[in-house]
Amino acid sequence: MSNGKFKRFCRLACASAIALAATGAQAAETVTIGFTGPLSGGAALYGQNTLEGLQMAAKEINDKGGFQVDGETYEINLVSLDDKYSPSQAAVNGKRLVQQYDAPVIFTPHSGGTFALQAFNERSGFLVMSYTSVPTVTEKGNDLTVRIPPTFTGYMKPFTKIAMAENGKKVAVANATHDYAKYWTKAFVPTWEAMGGTVVANNPMDYNKSADFYTGVSKVLAEDPDVLFIGGASEPTALVAKQARELGFKGGFVIMDQAKMGEMSKIIGGYDMLEGSVGVVPLTLYEEQGAKDFVAKYHKLNDGKDPTTEVAYNYFALYSVVQAMKEAGTVEDAKAIRAAIGEALKNLAPENNPYGVTEIDAKGGMMADPNIATVKDGKVVLQRISEVLGE
Amino acid sequence: MDLFLQQVLNGLTLGSIYGLVALGLTLVYGILHVPNFAHGALYMVGAYVSYVTMVDFGVNYWLAMIAAAGVVALLAVLCERLVFNPLRHAPPIHDKIAAIGIMLFLEALVQMHWGAEFRRMPTPYTEILNVAGMTIPAQRVLIIIGAFSLMAVLHLFLKKTMTGSTIVAMAQNREGAFLVGIDANRVAMMTFAISGGLAAVGATLFAPINLVYPAMGHLLIMKAFVIIILGGMGSIPGAIVGGLIIGFAEAFGGFYISTDYKDIIAFALLVVILSIKPTGLFTKGVR
Repeated sequence: MSNGKFKRFCRLACASAIALAATGAQAAETVTIGFTGPLSGGAALYGQNTLEGLQMAAKEINDKGGFQVDGETYEINLVSLDDKYSPSQAAVNGKRLVQQYDAPVIFTPHSGGTFALQAFNERSGFLVMSYTSVPTVTEKGNDLTVRIPPTFTGYMKPFTKIAMAENGKKVAVANATHDYAKYWTKAFVPTWEAMGGTVVANNPMDYNKSADFYTGVSKVLAEDPDVLFIGGASEPTALVAKQARELGFKGGFVIMDQAKMGEMSKIIGGYDMLEGSVGVVPLTLYEEQGAKDFVAKYHKLNDGKDPTTEVAYNYFALYSVVQAMKEAGTVEDAKAIRAAIGEALKNLAPENNPYGVTEIDAKGGMMADPNIATVKDGKVVLQRISEVLGE
Repeated sequence: MDLFLQQVLNGLTLGSIYGLVALGLTLVYGILHVPNFAHGALYMVGAYVSYVTMVDFGVNYWLAMIAAAGVVALLAVLCERLVFNPLRHAPPIHDKIAAIGIMLFLEALVQMHWGAEFRRMPTPYTEILNVAGMTIPAQRVLIIIGAFSLMAVLHLFLKKTMTGSTIVAMAQNREGAFLVGIDANRVAMMTFAISGGLAAVGATLFAPINLVYPAMGHLLIMKAFVIIILGGMGSIPGAIVGGLIIGFAEAFGGFYISTDYKDIIAFALLVVILSIKPTGLFTKGVR
């Protein structure tokens, strides 16, 4: 480094130190919330959506002047690091967030990142907020992990029950071939058989790499099923449903939760083709007041764009963490914060809890009771999972 | 039996679109002597142009197809003028890099403007015909008829007209073509225009039974590469026959063996054919 450069560097360093000190003096206290997730690469959109939910909540809280814990006012400083969906990078980011930024809570939107953080979170004393519906992240018994969305296994029984009642007992599997779809099939097929049904064909298709689904769909329809189990991203799933109808399929669809019926109806022009189907709907169709308030607020901030599930769940999750900090009376002790989440869920404002989550199980899984949708006479009928199973 | 015929129909639909896209690729190969990786992006732009003219301007399907063909032909000519022509004395690797650059540029441009979401192109032909137990949506009939008549027109153009012959001459022997006074610039621009036009028409035919999104070209361009290698680089009948072979392999392999393995079947076929005829099925084309 030449002398001139060194001087400039010093000046810059001084300036930034002063700037840092100045911001520190303005806000009373800040608490750092960490995030590690895919912000570039193939899963970037997904990662951005999850982060957007956190940012929206953090901004709301800070705009109201922060939150009070034990007489002190805190603002949220959200630090997001890109891990490109890689578990090892998530671990590195996790270390940085804890050591450099002193974050008591780290959010991550993938199971790989969660497992990587779980290797040292209990030792380093931070809470992992995991946005993944893979059940094993909480079943391993990590004391400082919270799984934000419900596990997908919760959909198996109600979906099977409705599909059998509406259409019949013969199912053909024609969902996608990625990992998540395979997990689903592994859980769905035994449930279907345990409830007295049969699987007449099993022909998953690569939804992203097929130019056309006629061949794959006609193959499963040759076995004359009553129900077709489909699902991948919403749009190709809609095409599969449409092509099945064109090929003369009269039964109903069981639609894997990755695909949202609302998105599908935009592709195939309404719900007529989905008659007798069961699946999940986006938050915008929920009738609960909390969901409606949240959607209205999001619409206002984003020119009428609909919020994704990722935005809504992560928004809610940050609010529940902040509420738990208030209940626990600490912003540092991860154990106390984790212990207070159950109480926090009961005291959350409905507009900050669009899915109406009220409980967390002992292992750290949030217990949402999501709506599932059935299409009857071209209309979507919503029911809570508990209602379907309680009948 | 009707299930068998259904697969024949599926194979024809896929094969005719694959063939149409591969044709454009093989024509440009005759001029550039490198594969044009940007061809899939041109196909994608074609779909977006038709989509926009139809949905945002409310124009009729056929006019939208013509508009798309025109715009993409112009875009292809621009690529030739601005990128490939200045590189004509450079080593072939530069052309390849430039082609990949164009592909990334076009995709990023479309994604910036229209976003990454899936769109659905409307079509006036939504009837579904049922003949002898077969399901035949009108759009699929249109794809097959449209693609094959376009191939026939192209064939006549190349064989029966003087302008068409200049393209064939260029592809067969560059120096020879110069010696008899063929204007290389004109032929190159014309070839790019035709290949772009074919891609756009193919996209407008196929998009209504599929989805429109920025990465839609990847899938097709990969198949098209397999097809022109299979059929012989630069060979026109090779592209058509190769397209049908891959289309039928996917339809029958997917139905009678497994949908999971249909790509494996297509590629295994490629390996078998290349081990018997290492230069592809029709080697009369270039080199």
